[in-house]
Amino acid sequence: MPSVDNNASPPSTKKPLYEASTQFKNWRYSPDHLAHIRSTLNEAAVGVIRKTFEAYEPGSSSNVSFVTADEEHLLVTFYIHKIGQLCGHFRFPEEVEATAASYLKRFYLKNTVMDWHPKNVMLTALFLATKTTNNPISLDAYTSHIPNTIASDVLDLEFLVAQSLRFEFAVWHAHRALWGIWLDIQNLPNTPPDFAKTESAIYDSALTHVRAARLTDAEFIYTPSQIALACISLVAPDLANQWLESKENTPIPESRVDIPPRPSSTAISASLEAIRNMITNSGKVPHVEAVREVDKRLKLCKNPEKVVGTKAYLARKAEAEKKAEEKRNKKVEGQKANDRDPFGQELGEPAAKPGLVDYDDESDDE
Amino acid sequence: MDAVERENSDRQKSWAKEQKVGEGTYAVVYRGREVSTGRRVAIKKIKVGQFKDGLDMSAIREVKYLRELKHQNVIELLDVFSSKTNLNLVLEFLDSDLEMIIKDRSLVFLPADIKSWMAMTFRGLEFCHRNFVLHRGFKMTCQVITPVLRWYRPPELLFGSRFYSSAVDIWSVGCIFAELMLRTPYLAGESDMDQLKTIFRALGTPTEQEWPGHTKLPDYVPVGQFPKTPLRDLFTAASADTLNLLSKCLLYEPRKRLSASEVCGCCSYGSPLYIIPISSPFRYPSHPSKLPKCSTQMAPRPLEEVDGNVDMAGTGPGVKAAAPSKVKLKRKLTSPADESRTRSIARKLDFTKQVNSP
Repeated sequence: MPSVDNNASPPSTKKPLYEASTQFKNWRYSPDHLAHIRSTLNEAAVGVIRKTFEAYEPGSSSNVSFVTADEEHLLVTFYIHKIGQLCGHFRFPEEVEATAASYLKRFYLKNTVMDWHPKNVMLTALFLATKTTNNPISLDAYTSHIPNTIASDVLDLEFLVAQSLRFEFAVWHAHRALWGIWLDIQNLPNTPPDFAKTESAIYDSALTHVRAARLTDAEFIYTPSQIALACISLVAPDLANQWLESKENTPIPESRVDIPPRPSSTAISASLEAIRNMITNSGKVPHVEAVREVDKRLKLCKNPEKVVGTKAYLARKAEAEKKAEEKRNKKVEGQKANDRDPFGQELGEPAAKPGLVDYDDESDDE
Repeated sequence: MDAVERENSDRQKSWAKEQKVGEGTYAVVYRGREVSTGRRVAIKKIKVGQFKDGLDMSAIREVKYLRELKHQNVIELLDVFSSKTNLNLVLEFLDSDLEMIIKDRSLVFLPADIKSWMAMTFRGLEFCHRNFVLHRGFKMTCQVITPVLRWYRPPELLFGSRFYSSAVDIWSVGCIFAELMLRTPYLAGESDMDQLKTIFRALGTPTEQEWPGHTKLPDYVPVGQFPKTPLRDLFTAASADTLNLLSKCLLYEPRKRLSASEVCGCCSYGSPLYIIPISSPFRYPSHPSKLPKCSTQMAPRPLEEVDGNVDMAGTGPGVKAAAPSKVKLKRKLTSPADESRTRSIARKLDFTKQVNSP
């Protein structure tokens, strides 16, 4: 019974799924923008920490050699690599590893290593990723396999990590795109039927490049499919071209107004070239000595307010407690005012305004 | 205070909780407003502190998928923030649901109304399926206790199938479609076994030909032989087109069941197969603003509890989603004056309730 849907939604609502994602909307940057975010974040952190040092011991910050934005980035990259090692140990699927790596990278676009050491954040990011990708394991099992780690090390940072991610847990990955392109390639007219078997080394090497790309900023700048195609082109440039041509030669039906115009092939080649360079130049695990050097200096310049037991930490904690106490007192006062007469107010007396519900209402937290 | 914490607290301050409208062990739901605009919202506070593994899976699923899904027929997640050990979801305010409307005997449904509700449901569902999200837990409301869910459960899940598809949602929508016409639940079994019996009694015991391989499903048990009775016998007032659509949502073989995109004609190729049946004089569906609405006031109701039936390790075929929930259909208020006495009708798929299925 063909008929016209008079309530049909306009075609504009059917943009590509990726373009509707939070990743597309909120986590894409230009290389300059990324550099700017990191340097601003680093400067602000240094400013705050210097002030804290001075407040407790005037002159004490002058000899401190704070870590730079580049050094912060180096440290984070090292811990992305560590995530890979941990995932191998737990035999977590690729999706968990890729997601945890994205979480860690995104976290450090909002936070500094001088406040939160990536060694700790990594554990929380990975545990969160097991849950968001539907591969959960119990916290006990998780911590018991990681030396010197207890449950609170993981859980204490969970809200902070989730907040830093803006509670946007879904991540689109290049390894998925690689799989899609690999399937496409097997469907090309000239591909022999046993191609996937005989040429599986192409896929394996491309996947190695995808993993190397995880150590770079590629995912902040390019789409998962661009990264995947660049990785194939590193291994088998002709194959990548064939796939690209097959896409270019497929006509878009006029009815498909939802498909955006294709980028020019020069634009695509330029992106692919840039990604290849990125993978070759920065897709490497930082040298342990370099990491050690940064970590050593980090010990001396980390935010004392975040280091348990320091004067600054205790002062900050006392301040927070004082505020909470004041709030509680206020609340008790408010209740007292409401409790004056069990039979209600006198006529003519202004009725107490029904207050807004307190988010931190203790009675709700049981 | 760190920048991230400050941002969180700013978010928190932009929403005001007003009145508690529901409570369960897992969450508390408040009615609230956006401070800057006065817009009505629902705020669902999920208690996280009690979970030894931190943020729990159902909260995470809910947030993960609702963050990505934006569609006029899917409930909108406006914001997320944390307070102490609680996770707060700010949701579009839907103050009535299909169950209340069905139960309100003073309301008369025109075929065009049902068509309109079904069209909204199918559109929301088509969008979810296109995003590889299975709804997997249709209900008429959030507030009904868990067993109700069984009534909308397709036979392949009752037989323990571990690999299922978007077709499970189509079965559920078929049951709701039938319920809208009957004004009473269509396939209301009292246990899982009775549910199968009820289904077979209504639609006939499936043959191997109708549903190849079903006797090999993990939990298959023979539940007796029942003859097929024509839908026409029960749905006496429905048009032929209507029954045709209904029967194709309630096919035993999941692969033969209609897909949401076939129904909506939103699929990329060709014209729609089935628009919600059109039979004169109701050629067009009711406009949302003209849909029946309840006149009763909203009172706090207990929230549904987690039924502990969630399979954390289970994975579907490429689809891992399982946002919990129900169908809610809503319409916009025609004027602010209505607001005090009448309630709008949801036209959204609401993923926010704690339902765990299959």
